[in-house]
Amino acid sequence: MYLSRQWRLLPKAGIARSLSSSGAHYTTAAPAEDSPIEIPNRIERSPTDLLQALAATVGRDHTAPHYKYHDDPFLIPMSNAAKRTYALSKESGRKAAKWIKEEHRELFMHQEAQPAIEKFAPSMVYTEDSQVEESSLRQLIAQGELKDAVLVYNLLEQKGTVISPELKQSLLELVCFHNNQEPLPEEYIEERWFMQNNRRRERSGKTWKDGDLAEKLYSEIEPKTPQSYASLIRGMAKYLQCERAYALLQEAGEKQIQLDTNTFNSIIQIVNFLKDTAEQRWQLCTELLQEMSQQKLRPNLGTLNAVLQCISTFGNFKLARTAALQVLPEFKKLDVSPSLGTYYYLLIIFCRERGPVSHVIVDILNDIAGKEFKVQHPKDTYFFATAMDVCRNHLHDKALAKKVDELLHTGKNYDLIGDSFKESIYYRNYLALLCQTESIDDFMQTYDLLVPNIYIPEPGIMEEILRAIEINGGVEHVPRIWSDMVVFDHTHRESLLLCVLRILVDNKPNPESPAQQQLPEQGAKVALDMYEKVEDSIRRLRKVSFTGQMLGDILTLLVRGGNYEKATEVLSHIDKNQHRIPGTPAESALQEFVEASVQEKSPSQALVALQYAVENNIDSRTLAKRIHEGFTLNEAHLSKLKSLVGESFLDK
Amino acid sequence: MSAGLTRLWERLPLKKQAAQSSIRVFSNQEQQQQPEVEDDEEFRVLSLRTVKQQFQRRQQVRRDPITPPRTGRMAVDQDWTAVWPGPRSFHPASVPLPLRQGFTERGAAAPSKFANAELMKIPNFLHLTPPAIRQQCEVIKRFCTPWPKGLETEAKWQRHFPVEVTTTDFCHSLPTIRNPEARRVTISLKLSDLKFDSHARDKFLRLVGDRYNKDTDILTFVTDRCPQKKQNYDYALYLLTACYHESFVTEPWEATKSEADMEVYLFERNQSKLSAEGILNWNAKEGAPKVAPSKSYANCVEQLINEGENEYNLGKYKEEVKKMLNIA
Repeated sequence: MYLSRQWRLLPKAGIARSLSSSGAHYTTAAPAEDSPIEIPNRIERSPTDLLQALAATVGRDHTAPHYKYHDDPFLIPMSNAAKRTYALSKESGRKAAKWIKEEHRELFMHQEAQPAIEKFAPSMVYTEDSQVEESSLRQLIAQGELKDAVLVYNLLEQKGTVISPELKQSLLELVCFHNNQEPLPEEYIEERWFMQNNRRRERSGKTWKDGDLAEKLYSEIEPKTPQSYASLIRGMAKYLQCERAYALLQEAGEKQIQLDTNTFNSIIQIVNFLKDTAEQRWQLCTELLQEMSQQKLRPNLGTLNAVLQCISTFGNFKLARTAALQVLPEFKKLDVSPSLGTYYYLLIIFCRERGPVSHVIVDILNDIAGKEFKVQHPKDTYFFATAMDVCRNHLHDKALAKKVDELLHTGKNYDLIGDSFKESIYYRNYLALLCQTESIDDFMQTYDLLVPNIYIPEPGIMEEILRAIEINGGVEHVPRIWSDMVVFDHTHRESLLLCVLRILVDNKPNPESPAQQQLPEQGAKVALDMYEKVEDSIRRLRKVSFTGQMLGDILTLLVRGGNYEKATEVLSHIDKNQHRIPGTPAESALQEFVEASVQEKSPSQALVALQYAVENNIDSRTLAKRIHEGFTLNEAHLSKLKSLVGESFLDK
Repeated sequence: MSAGLTRLWERLPLKKQAAQSSIRVFSNQEQQQQPEVEDDEEFRVLSLRTVKQQFQRRQQVRRDPITPPRTGRMAVDQDWTAVWPGPRSFHPASVPLPLRQGFTERGAAAPSKFANAELMKIPNFLHLTPPAIRQQCEVIKRFCTPWPKGLETEAKWQRHFPVEVTTTDFCHSLPTIRNPEARRVTISLKLSDLKFDSHARDKFLRLVGDRYNKDTDILTFVTDRCPQKKQNYDYALYLLTACYHESFVTEPWEATKSEADMEVYLFERNQSKLSAEGILNWNAKEGAPKVAPSKSYANCVEQLINEGENEYNLGKYKEEVKKMLNIA
C-alpha cells in the first residue's frame, strides 16, 4: 500500500539540489474485525506516463520562438536564414563538443555516472593493428557503427578468422541499408530538419555501389539464404540499381526461394524505373502482386503504398484513376489500414495540374478528421504539405484548408510535418490561400498567430498579402506589415517597396475612423524609413535604386504625415539626381508638395518643385497657378516664376 | 544615424584627408580631383616597412534588427501556462508584468524589470500559477484511484495498518542516480498493537532496548546494514518477528532470577507481604482462613518503593496502613 504523505526539500550539503520524497507505506498486520475494507487496484503506468500527461497541458505560445532557440529579443531569429543559422550553430556546438571528446579521449575516461552512460565515454577506436574478435564485430553491428564494423570485418578477414554466416548476414543487412556510406548520426536533428532541400537532386539517380562490399558479402554467403537475397534486393532497390534488383528477384523466383513481403514492396516501388509506359508498369505491378499471392505472402501497408507510388507515376490519368480505385477496396478487404502516406499518393494521383478537378481530399478528410497518426511509412511526412497544396492550387477552398490545419494540430500529428522545407511549403500555401479568400481582419489574426515564430513569409507571399490588403482596403495594416518586412529583410525587393507605397498613397487615410487616425504619421514614418533604407542599400550587396515613382510616393507620404522638413530633403534629392533616377514622380505628388509649401510659407521650395516639373516636362501650369495664388511673391521669386513658365502665364 | 553618416562622408573629400581609398564617394568628379590635390600638398614618403593603411574604414557589422520585447504582442487573455510552462529564471521580455525590484536612492522608484539582476536572482514561481496547478492536477487525476472504502478516519486506517514503513527516494541533478541514504528503512508501530503476557513484554522490552519510546509507546526499527532497500525492509520485518517470538520463550536460567535481579519491586515476592500477613494473622487460630493484605495496600507499597518517597505516596501509605490496621 502506498500513501504519499508529504513532500519535503532536503538541503543536501550544498552539493546538489536533492528532492526527497518520503513515502510511508503500511502493511496489513491484523485484518479488521468489524468493517471490511476495499482497496482499489493500482492504475498501471509507464515511467514516463506522468511526465507526458503533464507535458500535454502545455500549449503553443505564439509569441515565443521554438524552444530550441533562446527566448531573448537579441537571440530570437527573425528571418528564415537566421532560424537556420541559429539552430545549426547550436548543433555545431554539440558537434564541437563531441569532437573534443574524441580528440582528447584521455580526459574523458572517467565514468562518474551510475549507471554508466555509454554516449559520454569516448568511442572505441579501431585501427589496422587492433586486436579484434567476432564479438566486437557483433557489438558494432548492434550499435550500427557502419565504418568500424566494415574495418573490423576486414581485419578479421585478414587474420583468417571464421565468421559465422549469421553475423555475415547481419553485416550484409547493415551495409545494404546504408549502401556502405556512413549515415548522418541520429542525434543531429537540426541538420536533418534543415537538410532535405539540398538532397532532393540526387534522389533520382542510381547511387548503389556496384561490386562493393555488399555484393562481396553476398557472394561469400553460401548457400544463399532467403534473407541474403532479400537484403541485397532491398539494398539495390533502395539505391535504385533497378535492373539488377529485378534480375535478382527473378533469379530467386527460379530457384524457388521464398522471399518476404517487404522485398516485393521494394521492387514494386521501382517498377517505374523498369518499364516506360503506364500499361507496362501496371502489368508488371500486377504480375508481382500475383507472384506474392502465389507465394502466400500477406501484403502490408508497404505494399499498398508501393503500388500507389507506382500508379502515381502513370502519365495516363484514366488508367491511374481506375487502377487506384481497384487497388483500394482490395487492400481494405485485406484489412490493411492506410497511413498518411497512402493518402498522399491518392492526392497526387487524383489531383493533377492538368487533370480534371477532383474532390478526393474531401472524402479523405471526412475519413481521417480527428484521428491521431504515427509515422508508419517514409512518405507519411509528405501528406500535409501536399494536402495544403491541393487546397490552394487545385480546389482553392478555405474550409478544406482549415480542416487540414485542424488535423495537423490534432494530438501529435504535428510530428508528421516532415522538415523545415515541407513546413514552409505548408504554411506558404495556407497563408496564400487565406489571404486570397478571407476578409483582411480575419486573415491578420491568423497572420499574427503564425508570423514570425512558426513561419516567415517569403517575398512572394508578402506580395500576395500586400495585394490582398490593397484589394480589401486594409491600409491600417500596412505599417505592421512594413515593420515585419524590415525584420524579415525584404526591403531590397523593389516590387514590394512599390506595392507598400502604392497602397499607402492610393488609400488616403480617413481621419474619422479611429483605426486610421495614426495612419498619416505612420505612413510618413514608413516612407522615411524606406527612404533611408534605400539610400543605405547603396553600400550593400543587394542594391535597390530609387525610381521617380517611388520618390514621388515617399514625398507624398512625408507631406501627408506633416514631415515637411524631410520632404524638402527628398525633393532636393530628386532634383539633384535627376540624371540618375529613372522616371519622374507623379504630378499629384508635386502638387501636394506645393500645397504643403503654401501651408508652410516657403515659396523657394515650391519654386524648386516647379523648376523640376518644368525641366522634366511635367505639366507645370497648375503648379505655377497654385504658387502664384498661394503666395505673395517678392521680386526675385516672381522673376524666377516668370523665367520658368513664361510671361504669358501671368497675364491669363 | 545612417543619414548622419552619409552626410559625414560627403563632407570628407572637402577636408582633403588621406582616407580616400576606402571611402565611397557619391560623385565621380570628386574622385577624379582628389589624387591631384593630394600630390600637391604632401611629400611622398619612403616607407621602408609596409605600414598598414591607418585610415581603413572599419567593416560595419550588419546586425539584424532587434525586435521589441514580445510582451507587447501578448494578448490579454493569453494562456499563461503556455508562455511559462516550467521553472525558469526571470526574463523581462517574456513576463508582461511591470515589476520593479532593487534598492535606489531615497525617493526614487525601484529599478524596472529590464536588466535587473535582483529579479533574476530570486527564484520565481511563475510556472506554478493556480491555473497551471489546476491543469496539472486535472491530467494526473486519471492515474489516481479513489480512497479505499472503510478507511475514512485516521483511527480506522491505523487499526487496519498498524505498521508504518518509511523509505526515502532521492532525485537529484547528479550523474549518478544512486544515493546511499535511499537504502535506509524505518518501520514503526505502537507496542499496544502487539499482544504480550507480562513475562514476554518484559523480555521484549529488554530485547529492543532503546528502540522503544516509553512516552509515545512507539517501537521503531531503523535498518541500513544491507546495501539495498528491499533487503533492509526484509531485515527489519525479520527483526520484529524474531524479537516478538523470542520474548515468549522462557529459558531455564530465567527461573534463577533472584530478588537482586528484579528491575521493579513486586509486593508479591517480598518480605513486606509476609510482614503484613504476619500482622494481620496475629494470634489467628489454626485452620482459620488466612487474611491477606488488601490489593490497594499492595499497590500502595509498590508505588512507594518503585517511585520513591514523596508526600503523596507517603500520605497514601499512611491511609492504607491505617485502613489495614483498623486504626480510625
